[in-house]
Amino acid sequence: MDEKGRALSETVWTRLDRKAGAITEFTVRQLRHRISTWVVLSVGVLVMALLLAFYVDAIRETDEPYDDDGDSVDWDKDGYPRGQEDKFGTSDWDGTEYPGSGYYEADGDIDWNDEARFHSGNHTWHGEGYFEADWLDTDYSGGRWSGIIDWEDMEACREGQVYDDWWPEWGEACTYDDGSYFVSGRFKASGSVNVPDNYYMEWGHMTDEYYVEPDPASMYIDEDGILWDGRDVSEIGTEIDDDGDCLLLMNDDNNNGIPCDVIWILDADGDEIIDIRADFNVNEDPAEGEYVGELSHRTFIIGTGKMAFVMLLGIFIPLFLALGLVRDETENGTLHYLLSKPIHRAEFILYRLLGYLLLTGTYILVLVLLMALITSLIGPGESLIRLSDFPVWLGIGLATILVLAAYGAMYNTLGLIFPKYGVYMCIILGVWEFIMGFFTLTLPSANVPMLSVSHWALQMIDAIVLIAWPDTLQYSQMADAFGFDSPLPFFWQPPVHTLETQSPVVALLVSIAVLLVITLGMIGIGQSSFKNREIM
Amino acid sequence: MSDSKTPAVLVDQASKWYGQVIGLNDVSLAIDGGVTGVLGPNGAGKSTLFKLLMGRLKPSQGSVRLFGIDPWSNTAPYRRVGYVSESERMYDWMTGLDFVTTLARLHGMTREEATARAEHVLDFVGLADVRNKELGKYSKGMRQRVKIAHALVHDPDLIILDEPLHGCDPIARTSIMSVIRELGSQGKTVLISSHILEEIERITEQIVILHNGRLLALGNLHAIRGLLDKHPHRILLTCDDPRRLASAFIAEDPVHGVSFPEEGQLEIQTNNLSEAHSILPRVIVNSKANVTSIENPDDNLESLLGYLVGGDS
Repeated sequence: MDEKGRALSETVWTRLDRKAGAITEFTVRQLRHRISTWVVLSVGVLVMALLLAFYVDAIRETDEPYDDDGDSVDWDKDGYPRGQEDKFGTSDWDGTEYPGSGYYEADGDIDWNDEARFHSGNHTWHGEGYFEADWLDTDYSGGRWSGIIDWEDMEACREGQVYDDWWPEWGEACTYDDGSYFVSGRFKASGSVNVPDNYYMEWGHMTDEYYVEPDPASMYIDEDGILWDGRDVSEIGTEIDDDGDCLLLMNDDNNNGIPCDVIWILDADGDEIIDIRADFNVNEDPAEGEYVGELSHRTFIIGTGKMAFVMLLGIFIPLFLALGLVRDETENGTLHYLLSKPIHRAEFILYRLLGYLLLTGTYILVLVLLMALITSLIGPGESLIRLSDFPVWLGIGLATILVLAAYGAMYNTLGLIFPKYGVYMCIILGVWEFIMGFFTLTLPSANVPMLSVSHWALQMIDAIVLIAWPDTLQYSQMADAFGFDSPLPFFWQPPVHTLETQSPVVALLVSIAVLLVITLGMIGIGQSSFKNREIM
Repeated sequence: MSDSKTPAVLVDQASKWYGQVIGLNDVSLAIDGGVTGVLGPNGAGKSTLFKLLMGRLKPSQGSVRLFGIDPWSNTAPYRRVGYVSESERMYDWMTGLDFVTTLARLHGMTREEATARAEHVLDFVGLADVRNKELGKYSKGMRQRVKIAHALVHDPDLIILDEPLHGCDPIARTSIMSVIRELGSQGKTVLISSHILEEIERITEQIVILHNGRLLALGNLHAIRGLLDKHPHRILLTCDDPRRLASAFIAEDPVHGVSFPEEGQLEIQTNNLSEAHSILPRVIVNSKANVTSIENPDDNLESLLGYLVGGDS
C-alpha cells in the first residue's frame, strides 16, 4: 500500500471507529441516566438473589442423605423401619405386626357349603356364627384392619332371625339371654361355634413371638447405590437390589426375564449410554452426595439460565432499553443534533444498538459470573471451586447476549417503523416469545417454536450443556429410569438442531448462526426503513 | 469535491408537499457567502427549506444541493455544514462541554481534539464559565448558544440556524446576533431564519422572503424597503398636544393626512416614508410639542409581505 492509500485507510477507518465510539459511549451514558434502566437492571439482580436463596436452601438439603423410596421410615411406629418389615413380610401399616411379633396361622374353617356346621376349641377366630364361650380374651387386639370384636361394648341381640330379620355389623357381637353370642368379626376365645348355612368361620393360632433387633433407619438410605459413577461407561457393574425390596416381588419391568436388574443400552461405539431400563425398586436410592447433589446443581444452573436469563431478562430488558433507542430521539427532536453530523443513518442505528449491547452485555456478564462464582463455591463436589461450571455459565451469558441483540434489533426496528403502536407489538411479541420458550422446554423438536428467538437461545444452552457436561444426558436418563423426582428432564433435553450429526457443537453453531441472522436481518430492515424516513 | 464556483446552497425549483399541504412551492435560490436572513411568518416554509437542505426531507420535486451534493442521499456535505435546529429538547443530563464534545466526535475527531474544539467554541459563544453545568440548568438563551456552539465545533463553511433568537431574552439576543455577525465577517455562509424583520435587520441586509411556501423576494433588505417607502405608510407619535402638532404636519408636502387613534397620539399618513422622516425633527422642534415616542407601525414583516403580495399595507 502506498503512503497515500495508507493515509486514506487510516482516515476512513479511524474516523469510523471514532464515530462508533462516540455514539456507543453516548448511548451507554444516556441509558445510564434513565431511571427505567436502573429499575429493570435491579429487578434482574433481585430475581437472581432470590434464585440463589432457593439454591442455597436446596443444596443444604441434598447434603443430607435422602431416602427416595421412604423405606427408612417407621410408618406404623412399631420401632421397625419399613425396609426391615418388608424383609420379614410384616405390615408396615399395622403397629401390631412387626418382625418377630408372631403372626396368625389358619388351622381350619367351616366353608359356606360344608356339611358340618359345628366346631369347638381354643382358637383365634375369624367369621360369623353363634358362639358359646368357655373363655374370652377381652384384651385381644389382633390385626388393626380385621374387625376385632369389642367385648366391653356388648348389646342384647335383636328379636327375630339373624340374616332374615336383622343383619350383624362386621366387628361386633351381641348376646342372648342364655349367655351365648352371635359374633361377626375376629376374636380370641375358647368355646364352640355354630355357623349358619351359607356363612363362614375360620380359626387358627398366633405363632410365638421372638425378639428381633430393630435396624437403624440409616441402613435403608443409600442402600442401592448406582454402581456407575456416570463418567466411564466401562465401569458399569451388575446392579444389585441391596435391600431386597425388588427381589421380594421379583419385579421384571424391563421384561428381560431377569428380575431386579438394569439394562444399560449403549450406542454403537459402546462409549455412550442412550437408554436405561431398570426394574422397579432397583437402585432407587443412589448415593446422594454425588448423584442427587450434582443433579440438583445442574438443574439449577440450566433452569436459571433458561428461565431467568434468556426468558426473563432476555425478553424484558430490550423492551425497556431497546424499543426507544432511535424512536425516542426522533420523537424528542434530539435526533437533529446527531444527524446533522456526517454520519449515515444506517450507521447510527448500528452504533446505537452497540451502545445498548455494551451496557446490557456487561450487566449480563457480571451477573452470570457472580452467579457462577457463588454456585461453584457452594456447589457439590470435592474441589474448592467447580471450574467445569464456568463454560456453562459463560454459554448462558453468550446466549442471553445474543438474545438481547436479536430482541434489541427487533424492538428497535418495530419502534422505528410503528412509533405509536410499536410498544404494543413488542409486548405481543414478548408474550409470543415467552410461550414459544415454554414449548421449546417441553417439546424441543416441535416446529412452531422455531419461529421464535427464544427457541434458538434455549437450544444453544442445551448444546453448551452437552458440550461442557457430556454426561448430563445420563443424569437425565437415570432420573427417568430410577424414578427420581427431578426437574432436569423438564429443563434440559439434548439439542435438536444437530443436522443429523448428533453433535452438540453443530447444534451450537446452528443456533448461533440463526440468532445472528435474525439480528442482522432486523437491523437491516430497521436501517432501510430509517434511511428513507423523512424526519420532521 | 466542490470547486469555488459551486455555491454553498443551491435550490433548484424545489417543492415539498405533505399530502395535501404544501410546505415549499417551486423555490429556486443560490446562496454563497455572507449572512442571509430567511424571513417569513410561521408556516411560510422556512423550516421545510432547512430540513430539505439538511437531508431530513426529500424534495417532492426539483433538487437541493449543498456544495453540489444531494444531502438526502449523501452525508458528505455535513462535514462542512453546521445546523441549529428549532428543536427545544436537549440532553438535560449532559454538561455543555459534554454535549459539544460528543457531537464533535461524530466528525471523526479524537476525544482530545473534540474537547479542545468544544472549549474553543463554547468560549466563542460566551458559555466558557458554564460549560461544566448540566444543560438542564441552562437558561433559554444559554441553550440556544450551546446549540450554536455544537454547529460551529467543526469550523463549517455553511451554518444554518433555524430561529436561533426564538424565545431569548434581549441580552442573549444581542450576544447571539453578534456571534452571527462575527461568523459573517469571517467569510462563512450563514442562513438564519426568523419571523421578526427587526431581528434580521440588525444582522444582515441580504434576505430571502418566504410566504405560503413561495419565494417572495430575494435580495437586499434596503432595496426592498425602498420599494416599500413609496407606498402609503404611517408614523405614530405620542405627545402632549397632538392637535397642535397635527396642524404643523398637515402643511408639509409628504404628509397627506393625519388622525388621532387614541388620546395623546397622532398618526401621520405619507406616501414617501424617507422624506417624511427627514422633515420629522424640524416640524417637532418648531411646534415645541413634547414628543415621547415615534413608531413606524408599518415597518414590520407583515406590512412588507402585504406590500409584496400586492395587498394594502
